[in-house]
Amino acid sequence: MVLIALAVIVLPLLTRDSYYLDVATTILMNLTLTMSFRLQVSTGQINMAHISFMGIGAYTSALLVTRLGFSFWATLWIGAVTAALLAVPIGSVALRVSGPYYFLITFAFSEVVRLFFNNFFENLFGGPSGLVGIPKPGRLLGMTFNGKLALYWLMAVICAVVVVALVRLDYSRFGLTAGAIRQADLVVETLGVNVFRFKLTTFVVGSFVAGVAGVFFAHYRQVLHSSDFGLEPMVLLVVFTVIGGTGSVWGPVVGTILMTVASELLRELHHYEILVFGAVLILTMLFAPEGLVALPGGARRLLRKLRGRAAEPAGAGVAP
Amino acid sequence: MSIELLVQALLNGFGLAMVYVLVALGLTLIFSILEIINFAHGEFYMLGGYVTYYVYALFGLNYFATLALAILTVGLAGVIAERLIFHDLRGKALNAFIVSLGLLWVMQAGAQLAFGVLDKPVPSAFSGIVRFFGLIISVERLVVSISAIVLIVALYLFLQLSRPGRAMRAVAQDPDAAALQGVNIDAVSALGFGVGCALAGGAGGLLAPVFAVSPAMGALPVVKAFIIIIVGGMGSLPGAVLGGLLLGGLEGLGTLFMGSAAVNMLGFVMVIVVLLLRPRGLVGGA
Repeated sequence: MVLIALAVIVLPLLTRDSYYLDVATTILMNLTLTMSFRLQVSTGQINMAHISFMGIGAYTSALLVTRLGFSFWATLWIGAVTAALLAVPIGSVALRVSGPYYFLITFAFSEVVRLFFNNFFENLFGGPSGLVGIPKPGRLLGMTFNGKLALYWLMAVICAVVVVALVRLDYSRFGLTAGAIRQADLVVETLGVNVFRFKLTTFVVGSFVAGVAGVFFAHYRQVLHSSDFGLEPMVLLVVFTVIGGTGSVWGPVVGTILMTVASELLRELHHYEILVFGAVLILTMLFAPEGLVALPGGARRLLRKLRGRAAEPAGAGVAP
Repeated sequence: MSIELLVQALLNGFGLAMVYVLVALGLTLIFSILEIINFAHGEFYMLGGYVTYYVYALFGLNYFATLALAILTVGLAGVIAERLIFHDLRGKALNAFIVSLGLLWVMQAGAQLAFGVLDKPVPSAFSGIVRFFGLIISVERLVVSISAIVLIVALYLFLQLSRPGRAMRAVAQDPDAAALQGVNIDAVSALGFGVGCALAGGAGGLLAPVFAVSPAMGALPVVKAFIIIIVGGMGSLPGAVLGGLLLGGLEGLGTLFMGSAAVNMLGFVMVIVVLLLRPRGLVGGA
């Protein structure tokens, strides 16, 4: 944790190269998304519409700023709140079902959102050619957030707030309840927890954070296209989160950093990139379903087991 | 609006819907046996399309022989996928779902590398139109729909009458009880997955001449198949047929009143309405 925080602070001192800053900003943005996605996975939901709430935040902010002249600093909140407000009815519908039905209904919803951005109100959303000309965030408290470095710091602050909040949440009673729901939701229900409302809370909080990331994304990239919020980036989000491991709050951190860097290294070979990611996803789920962060613990357990077995015969004769 | 126009629109909708029912039946069969949702199901459909392109369009084999070959090849690919990947994930819906997302990427990227990214046109095997009572149907669509219906009936007979088919139904109902009766669950899982994929491969072969063949061609039918099985009820074969008819009818009628983009959303709206009223689908059990 401290190491990562240090790295975030030190990085801009080491390099002002816009490429590295870009990658670092992307990592922080992805991390904000994967952490909020993991919040939902921690109760056992794979919300395939998570990326749509990022889209809702992004389009809300882009339209308010370009059409109505709102300030970015206002729409950062408005976009996120809009995503969270829409998450209440959508989550209420989707959470009526569980397991495979839940993957599919959230996927269906994400397709509705994507088709909506792509095909309706073309003069607003830009249709198939996308929404262009979104301004950078601009000034706040005498500072101008237009350059790469300033935007990096902005994202770092947003990400830090999100990570600290979600980590604290995970180590609290809330996180324990989430884990219990994932393992045995009926038991938790009988212990007096309103599982539906709990899951809805994680859904709405997760969507709020996704909305924040979406607003930043809109004003960072300055161009929006409906495919930014389609199946491919959503699967990428799943890859990032799952490879690190969903059992621990640190899983998405490890997965996101590792995979975003890998993605940059593989950028030249686009087809191979998704081939490799797909294969890595399959292998992780088959051989290390708890993710990379669980590997050291698993190895330690294995070692202890091996050592235990070696020690047993020696002790057997001594015992009374 | 005349009755003929309405009937024509319904027929247009039902025509392709029968093929999507094939895709959905494969998906729902796999779900009923292994309790997993295979998100890469559309990629097996794509594989069937490529078999058709290489064997029928390039090599020039008879269309129906090609179709049989596509069904067998993709079925075999399905058995291999089950043995290598999905076998240990039976009943682990979450993990299996994530794995199938990975498989989707591997197969799509693999197809891009092996076959190229460009659309490959497959010439139509049948030309001309049929008219009756003022309705117009292209012979190609007619052959496609009838072939799909034949395959659906064949699947039904296989599941009802043959020993492996009955074993599949037994495993779907209760794997433990089936195992106690001497059913080889491993073999049934592999075969069930293979049959499910074979259906997708057949659908890919049927629609290859209608649409072009491309690495991403699986996305549309698999989305339709998802809609169909959610509406019909997951794991229910009659439900899949009913869901397909509903979707086809709705989309067919929809084209009379709205643009194609809005029609594409109709299915999703239907899903949301059905899940609100009957979360287990129309034919789904308790």
